[in-house]
Amino acid sequence: MNMDINWVINWLSPKEVEMILTGIKDTLYMTLAATFFGYVIGLPWGILLNTTGKDGLTPNRAVYAIVDFITNVMRSVPFLIMLILVQPVTMWIVGKSYGSGATIVPLTISAAPLIARMVESSLNEVDKGVIEAAQAMGSSNGYIIRKVLLKESKISLIAGATITVGTVLGYSAMAGILGGGGLGDIAIRYGYYRYQPNILWVSVILLVAIVMILQGIGTLISKKFDRRKK
Amino acid sequence: MAEGNEEIRGYEMALIEVKNVSKTFQTKAGKVEALKNINFNVEAGDIYGIIGMSGAGKSTLVRCLNFLEKPTKGTVTVDGKDLGSLSKKDLRATRGNIGMIFQGFNLLIQSKVIDNVLYPLRLQRMPKADAKKKAKELLEIVGLADKANAYPAQLSGGQQQRVAIARALASDPKILLCDEATSALDPQTTEQILQLLKEINQKTGITIVIITHSMSVVREICKSVAIVEKGEIVEDGSVEEIFTNPKSAAAKTLVFGQADSAPGAISFAKDDNTKKVRIVFSTNSSYESVIADMILKFQNPVNILRANTLDVDGVARGEMFLQLSSDPVIAENQVEYLKERGLAVSELTASDLVAASAAGRKEAE
Repeated sequence: MNMDINWVINWLSPKEVEMILTGIKDTLYMTLAATFFGYVIGLPWGILLNTTGKDGLTPNRAVYAIVDFITNVMRSVPFLIMLILVQPVTMWIVGKSYGSGATIVPLTISAAPLIARMVESSLNEVDKGVIEAAQAMGSSNGYIIRKVLLKESKISLIAGATITVGTVLGYSAMAGILGGGGLGDIAIRYGYYRYQPNILWVSVILLVAIVMILQGIGTLISKKFDRRKK
Repeated sequence: MAEGNEEIRGYEMALIEVKNVSKTFQTKAGKVEALKNINFNVEAGDIYGIIGMSGAGKSTLVRCLNFLEKPTKGTVTVDGKDLGSLSKKDLRATRGNIGMIFQGFNLLIQSKVIDNVLYPLRLQRMPKADAKKKAKELLEIVGLADKANAYPAQLSGGQQQRVAIARALASDPKILLCDEATSALDPQTTEQILQLLKEINQKTGITIVIITHSMSVVREICKSVAIVEKGEIVEDGSVEEIFTNPKSAAAKTLVFGQADSAPGAISFAKDDNTKKVRIVFSTNSSYESVIADMILKFQNPVNILRANTLDVDGVARGEMFLQLSSDPVIAENQVEYLKERGLAVSELTASDLVAASAAGRKEAE
């Protein structure tokens, strides 16, 4: 074995390395799954906010006011509190309240209203003239949502998704406080409670690296698909 | 026989009939009456101009023709269908029969040129191969066959408007609405787009409604025109008629103010109390002799304040602003003489001259 591997092995035991690798896997699993389910809920939610809004396709003050209020309330609950509040729901869906699988539930519930807002503001950016042109051609609202709103705002939607992934990853690390699994959990249990700074630092560096990689991928995709410039 | 047909069909309808249309907007500052009791008809095959200053309500008016804006009162009948009575679905189908282009082009910026043209065809579920073929033909017509795979942002304004025209024509509409379609373009490109519209009108017989603030656009391609001011139609008729003999103040401002020349002479002359007239003549050659003959006959000079030759609905027209003799009797005789020679003569009031010089100055800028 060469020097570098020995150094790592001396610094972290094989068991600890294995644990951290599992942590990376769990963190990615939680983040991506919660983002996915977050979009399953948040995308239609955001579309509803946009279309019932003042300048939307079917303005409806009452519906908008209610949905807007719910969004604001849910956005105001700090993630850690949400984690505790939704424990009964988590138990009902997953059957337990700890571990990475269980953390996906509160992560999704916290991410959805954030995603709804991101989607709403992305769709609000779409040129009203283009929507008007689509209406003039006889498009139904459903057709406009699919073929105009979502398509025209895709760069903004991708940017929003990138921010969401980063935020959800941060939340997932926070869930470590209550045994949520993943790198955050490891950093808190080993780094904080057992005072093993090496594990703390490796976890933190890995978390930073994951955020940077995901951000990089998001930016790359945005750039590739952006047709607004020459 | 025509009468018999009318009886069978009940009555002969224009392609677009606008009856007693009013539109009121509710704003924070209170009610705003954008349109007041508008009435006009557009016949099939016409190029109909709706002209007015910004804020006159003409954009609201054109949106009433495809119910992008629903009139508060009145009816809009397109091709025999009362738009207000249609279900949402039928209204959408009818809109497919009315193409529209805009000042801001309004293309899908994230889609290729060809996909923009394909949009209405996909909407109507045309088979893929047919749709593609048709979209390519349309791009050919507007002269952009080589740009099919470009994105709108890679095109110039004029090219983007051509794509928009191709898109608007894709569903073979009977009517094309143009909302300030050339206002964002430079004069040369405007000219090209207007020529294209004219060509399409001549080839396909499509009815075109053009919203504009520019008299030169109306003059160049419209056959009929309505002048809108403060939400009302103040004057309408054939372009030739309104150009030759504008009656309302708004029409005068638009017609007199279209000179390319600087307003200098008019500004100087507008304050004295000599008689001033505008004469319109149909060919270029005739007026020179008329003026020369008139000077010889009355042995009294006239001052030419402004002279233009303009293309009115495809016919060359001359207009001239004259300051007649300072002797009121001779001036009166001069007017009679000009009328006898078959020229359209309109006397200019001080306010007409102010309008002409102000508008001339604006256009010169």
